[in-house]
Amino acid sequence: MLAAAPIAASLPDEAGAPRYRVVSPHRHAAVPGMPGPYPGKVVNVHSDKCLDATGGHANADVVREMMARGMCALTGEKKVGDAWKRFFEPKDVVGLKVNCGGRPYVVSSREIVAEAIRQLMAIGIKPTEIYIYERFQDQLDDVNYAPDLPQGVRIIGAESANFFANAMKRLYEMAGTPRSDESGYDPRTYVEADFFGEEDTRSAMMRLVTQRLTKIINIPNVKDHGATGVTGCLKNIAYGSFSNVARTHSHGKSHTYSCVGTMAAVEPLRSRTALQIMDGLRGVWHGGPFAHTKRYVFYPKRILFGTDPVAIDRLLLDIVDEKRKAEGAVSIWNRDPRHLKADDWGARDQDPNVNILIREPGHIEYASTLGLGVADLAKIHTEDVGV
Amino acid sequence: MSLLLLLVSLPTLYWPGGVESAAALKAAGIERLAVPVEQAEAWRKAGFDVAPVSAGDLAAREKVEAPGLAVEITLASATRNPWVSASGWIFQRKSAGRYYYNELPAGRAVLAGAEAYAYGADALLKIDPTDVGAFGGLLAFLKDLPPRELPAVADLGVVDDGSDDVGEVMNLLARRNVLFEPLVKPSPKFRINVELGTAEYPKEDAGDPSEFAAKVRRQLTDEARTLRVYGSDVVIGRVSGDGSHARVHVLNYGGRPIETLRVRLRGAWGRGEGYVAGRGKVALEDYAMEGGVTEFTLTAVGVYVIADLPAIH
Repeated sequence: MLAAAPIAASLPDEAGAPRYRVVSPHRHAAVPGMPGPYPGKVVNVHSDKCLDATGGHANADVVREMMARGMCALTGEKKVGDAWKRFFEPKDVVGLKVNCGGRPYVVSSREIVAEAIRQLMAIGIKPTEIYIYERFQDQLDDVNYAPDLPQGVRIIGAESANFFANAMKRLYEMAGTPRSDESGYDPRTYVEADFFGEEDTRSAMMRLVTQRLTKIINIPNVKDHGATGVTGCLKNIAYGSFSNVARTHSHGKSHTYSCVGTMAAVEPLRSRTALQIMDGLRGVWHGGPFAHTKRYVFYPKRILFGTDPVAIDRLLLDIVDEKRKAEGAVSIWNRDPRHLKADDWGARDQDPNVNILIREPGHIEYASTLGLGVADLAKIHTEDVGV
Repeated sequence: MSLLLLLVSLPTLYWPGGVESAAALKAAGIERLAVPVEQAEAWRKAGFDVAPVSAGDLAAREKVEAPGLAVEITLASATRNPWVSASGWIFQRKSAGRYYYNELPAGRAVLAGAEAYAYGADALLKIDPTDVGAFGGLLAFLKDLPPRELPAVADLGVVDDGSDDVGEVMNLLARRNVLFEPLVKPSPKFRINVELGTAEYPKEDAGDPSEFAAKVRRQLTDEARTLRVYGSDVVIGRVSGDGSHARVHVLNYGGRPIETLRVRLRGAWGRGEGYVAGRGKVALEDYAMEGGVTEFTLTAVGVYVIADLPAIH
């Protein structure tokens, strides 16, 4: 059973909040995919058998059963194929927004990805009309989904590498490595905002999303995040589909409170994201979104299903925060400057009581104000399923 | 622009090497160069258009840094942005100056030549011998450009008292692609005239030139800026234009190609053409013109690209 803790009262001061200019030629669908047909509903499927003792290997048969039970419980259908048909039809071009940033230990599991593709193909969608996508090709290459996929499924990154994160990893003091590849982004669909006086004030949506896909399945992980508190459905789909987003958080200050939801609400991303499958087989309780070490990896052994990204992420807050509490780490809601070592990634990785930014877990509640879903725990209906 | 004017405005190779290297220069298409006085005759005989330069002439020229990214890993930085070494603001400040790129490491000749050309600087370049071919390619590219004699466009004026403080302000404005014109005194043609020592721009504020430039940018507003470049933190642009044409120069200081750059140019400009050094003419992609603003995308941007756009009347 997922714990129900109230959202902390200390939401950030809105003074100085950035002003956004959203430019998109795309319109809302009649029923936008987010929050979709099941606002406030989350199916939480748990199985102790889904991972081996090391946590390194998932049992594909158990994961398949978890997926089937989750989709049926979400839709009320008896047959899993009918459940998937609620969302997809043969003419769809479907993108699976995976998360590979937590490589090597916590990424969208290949067993979940493979099963989703199997179900899409059972509906009649051709493998060549199915895309696995991420922002950074090097992360996709490292995870390497290809051996588990039918021939023809495409794997696409919008840009070659996360130069910012890589530069940070190599040497934080270095003057940085410039971005150089924006060709995977659509210059006509973007969010413009000046966060810290940066010169490039635009974040553009991936061309794959604006020009090719008709539906998206969002497959985030259960992860802590230094800027947002957690990174779940909202951040995976928003920051994973737009360019130039690392600029929103720097020198201890994070503008993710309003930016994550703002980006997730931009069309056509909002309308085309039809299904949320949160991969909670493994998780990261500190140091996220990365998982360079197993030290902060944990094993919730669950998959959450829904169409409402806000509701799932609201539950995610408690999953991560309870784990942090159990480990003696400060809450993701902690805004005490004594725990802040701005941009000191090394200190953060060594000590779970160090924050590199004042986190903004309130971004989930903010997203609810944009109509993206239900953040009030009292209005979220969670159905627990055991496998 | 006359051929003579064009040749004068082209960056000039300063080549202290002996005439035995003539074949390499000819193979690179280089026909005009500056050489030490004592070697001038030999180079003329080898068929080159030669400008003799004495040691005194060379010393009298203002030395400018090699353009590119400066990475100082031992220094803390107030910004995560890469630090760009660029001299365009110096050329603007003293447009009649004479300059000398005296220490260009391998791989910087094309950027230095393009930088000098974009700002119309009278510059000599002492390049690494391995760059001769690339530099010759740049000269050929520049000669083939459609001739345009257009005045520089600026969004604000900066009263230049010649001080280092004002120089650093100009440097950082240029770095942010905030187009300015150095002035002797405030000009009524600009809504904003930056003059250090006034109530609006106290001298002590220049102690943080980055914040100072950011303040000027905020006063101007991004909306009112003639030029915005999206997609890279390491490009510097310059705009020249009149009522009939606009020319946008974009210099890439990053040291590696940029796949795409989005350019926003204030004004109603028609579909133009791009010219990428090393590639030649290219299409301006994803063109859009709306609300008195023109946007287009430059692709496969190497070191230097020019976009020419006709006015829409």
